[in-house]
Amino acid sequence: MKQKTNIFSIAAVGIADVARDLGSFFRAFGTAFARGDWAVKLTLLWWGAGYARRKQYIKALLMTILEALVILFTVKISLKYVPKFTTLGTVQAEKVFNMQTMKNEWNDYDNSFLILLFSLFSFVVWIVGVVIALRSVIGAYKIQQDAEAGRHVNTFREDAHRYLEDKFYITMLTPPVIGIVVFTAIPILLLIFVAFTNYDQQHMPPNALFTWVGFKNFVSLFGGGGMTITFGYSFVRVLGWTLVWAFFATFTTYIGGILLSLLLNSKLTKWPKFWRLLFVITIAVPQFVSLLLVRNFFSNGGIVNAICANIGLTGFLRNIGLISTSYIPFLTAPGWAHVTIIIINIWIGLPYQMLIDTGILMNLPQDQLESATVDGANRYQVFRYITMPYLLFVTGPSLVTDFVRNINNFNVIYLLTSGVYTTTNQALANSQAKEVDLLVTWLFTLTQDYYNYKMAAAIGIIVFLICAAFTLVAFNFMISGNKESEYQ
Amino acid sequence: MKKQLMALTLAAAMAAGLMTAPAVKADDPIKLTVWGSENDQEYLAERIEAFKAAYPDQQFDIQIGVESESTAKDTVLTDIEAAADVFAFADDQLADLVDAGALLAINEEIEPALENYAGKKIEDIKAANVPVSIEDATIGDTLYAFPTSADNGYFLYYDPEVFTEEDVKTWDGLLAAAEEKGAGKKVGMTLASGWYNAGFFYGAGFTTSRNEDGTTNCDFNGTSADGISGVDVTKAMMKIAASPAFMAIADGDISNQIASGNLCAVVSGTWDSAAVAEAFGEDYVATVLPTYMAGDKEVQMGSVGGCKLMGVNAHCEFAGWGVLLAEFLTNEESQTIHFEQCKIGPSNLVAQNSEAVAADKAISAVLQQSQFAVIQKVGGKYWDPSATFGEKIAQGQIADDDASVQAALDEAVAGITAPIE
Repeated sequence: MKQKTNIFSIAAVGIADVARDLGSFFRAFGTAFARGDWAVKLTLLWWGAGYARRKQYIKALLMTILEALVILFTVKISLKYVPKFTTLGTVQAEKVFNMQTMKNEWNDYDNSFLILLFSLFSFVVWIVGVVIALRSVIGAYKIQQDAEAGRHVNTFREDAHRYLEDKFYITMLTPPVIGIVVFTAIPILLLIFVAFTNYDQQHMPPNALFTWVGFKNFVSLFGGGGMTITFGYSFVRVLGWTLVWAFFATFTTYIGGILLSLLLNSKLTKWPKFWRLLFVITIAVPQFVSLLLVRNFFSNGGIVNAICANIGLTGFLRNIGLISTSYIPFLTAPGWAHVTIIIINIWIGLPYQMLIDTGILMNLPQDQLESATVDGANRYQVFRYITMPYLLFVTGPSLVTDFVRNINNFNVIYLLTSGVYTTTNQALANSQAKEVDLLVTWLFTLTQDYYNYKMAAAIGIIVFLICAAFTLVAFNFMISGNKESEYQ
Repeated sequence: MKKQLMALTLAAAMAAGLMTAPAVKADDPIKLTVWGSENDQEYLAERIEAFKAAYPDQQFDIQIGVESESTAKDTVLTDIEAAADVFAFADDQLADLVDAGALLAINEEIEPALENYAGKKIEDIKAANVPVSIEDATIGDTLYAFPTSADNGYFLYYDPEVFTEEDVKTWDGLLAAAEEKGAGKKVGMTLASGWYNAGFFYGAGFTTSRNEDGTTNCDFNGTSADGISGVDVTKAMMKIAASPAFMAIADGDISNQIASGNLCAVVSGTWDSAAVAEAFGEDYVATVLPTYMAGDKEVQMGSVGGCKLMGVNAHCEFAGWGVLLAEFLTNEESQTIHFEQCKIGPSNLVAQNSEAVAADKAISAVLQQSQFAVIQKVGGKYWDPSATFGEKIAQGQIADDDASVQAALDEAVAGITAPIE
């Protein structure tokens, strides 16, 4: 296979593949619909028609029930919400108290959020419905061809059996695909739509309506909002720290993990199991417990500060002008907090990397090591030309996922800084950001404390784009070509 | 063809089944859900039984859930329609809850329910509680909740072995004594919070208020009604923060710091009384906040007075009964029992004047301080800029000249009063 080095060419090829598949699907449908008999044509309206005509009654019944469910959903739910999709509702909630029943009586008000959610759900159901209808036509035409050519037409039992045989992958993939559509795809779509609305504290359903605002949120995110709105200012800084953090968090633990596992794997190290256990204990303690504890250790009045004050370090730092406070602001001043967080993260993340690398080192191709030694390679050369490339090859993909995970590493940042870190940058404070915020923690503050769902959704989309672009590029460079064969 | 017919009938039957609404029974019990804090669960259960007993003709089905007063808003606003019918919350959440339409207004519309069943008018409720608590539960002219306690404020705790009563009258005396006799222990206060640091400004006669659109008015960068300039107040705060005997504590870290034994005096609230008793000894003293010198004027430090409130969800189905229950859970008898069981300082005037309340050091201190306390009405944009302003003072980042101080104040106030995008 030709090696592709350009992200755009990959994307282009991907899009072309999808387009070609779609094209052949519609062509197959066109042929089937044009050449099929009346039953095949009717299948477009009544999904069971083609099957019923060829006496596949059970299949016909199942398709009919499925179609009935789609129609039922459309009548019961879609028709109530989809027509309001363009405005996201117009009827404001109002109530009257009825003294007789002691109850509040509400008007039939619109709920923008439900309109958005169920419209989206309807669109998904309809798209799936259309695909099923088209596929049924193609399927019915195939059976017609079989029947006309005198070939055997599968019974239901035979068809069902195929889902345990050559179509087993469909059986296996269906539950996770449904799960992804319902629990991942629809929420993501919802998030994307929310980014184009004014859904915030001033427009919160059920008592208020929200509506479409186009690209306004993105404009203010990128600094087009005027003097007092500092989202653009904050966004650049938060994004900058997010990338710096992801880089350092990933590579410090990665390199540290390799060095540590090499050290523990070395024949010179005594009691390697004992040392390994010590490090694994960090994993055994739930992360949030250790992080909150460490946060207290490093707080302005914490034990680390007490020690530093006693040994005179605090005074020394004050004398040389590094700090202006009576404590060392490990987690409370920009710069200091950034470094402390990265160091604490090494302690938290390194053991995982060490375990992975230990496993890999134990499985190093021994023949290569031996032949290298026979050829007179020294220890550094073995590391440089065999161990490290092998480690890089095996851990490459996880390095990429680690980077993306660190972009979204909510735990470490939030647990270490929430409630103790206060920014001294008024412009950041005005848009509820902090110097140590990642995009994802900023997003959390915006939704959790300020109900600013529209901006959070816009930031979420940007985070998604960054992660997607990075993953695409990184995977492309790391796993391109056929390096795999080098180690076979 | 038979099978197709069957399929159609089946689909039709399913459709019919889904479309038929469940029949409504006329004598359904009155279903209500109540949310209160973890500590209040037993108290609530007991009082709800008493409520049921007060209306023997009615069929009630009342459920109790755990939801801390400090996080009620977040949970309620996640899904107002699914939230509890009656819930307790801290007063700083009132404006947001009202904005989102989550609270039922206690107005003339609902008054007949109260009058008919409990024999009380809204005026009676207003008269039964301390005026500040009513002001606290009111937005515009409308009462939105029932005050349940009036102890949500801060004051000064100190260790009598370190300080004399004279020492703690002024910040200067307090810090000097701590430096001299504190043996390294410090006076702690949160500066990086608009709830605590505003006490300096409120004491000097500055004000904040909240506009209907959720923005905040704030005059900290000008001159107050008492003729004190914001610059002088800020400089006084900077002087306090710069003292070696002062420790600025992060908002979430106060209890921790008290427990760590690094402090000999601390500005905090009733929730820390147990930790303080542990650290300072049972003979700890709780008293009003000290005075400070703004320019050449001595200013009594103010504070934010606050209440816990009990509100009724606007989407409560049995709105009338919800209001009656909320009223019942906050009436004189309930508040008296609440104090006895959970040491919650009452807002009800009669319940407040009991000897037991006077004997509780922390609660009587908050009631003492309440004469200098204001009700803080601010919008959401207030908090981050004001916290940052306090943190800048705590870290000594503002230069000690009038122009820099004024610039810092202007910047903070610009953020506080920023429009909501």
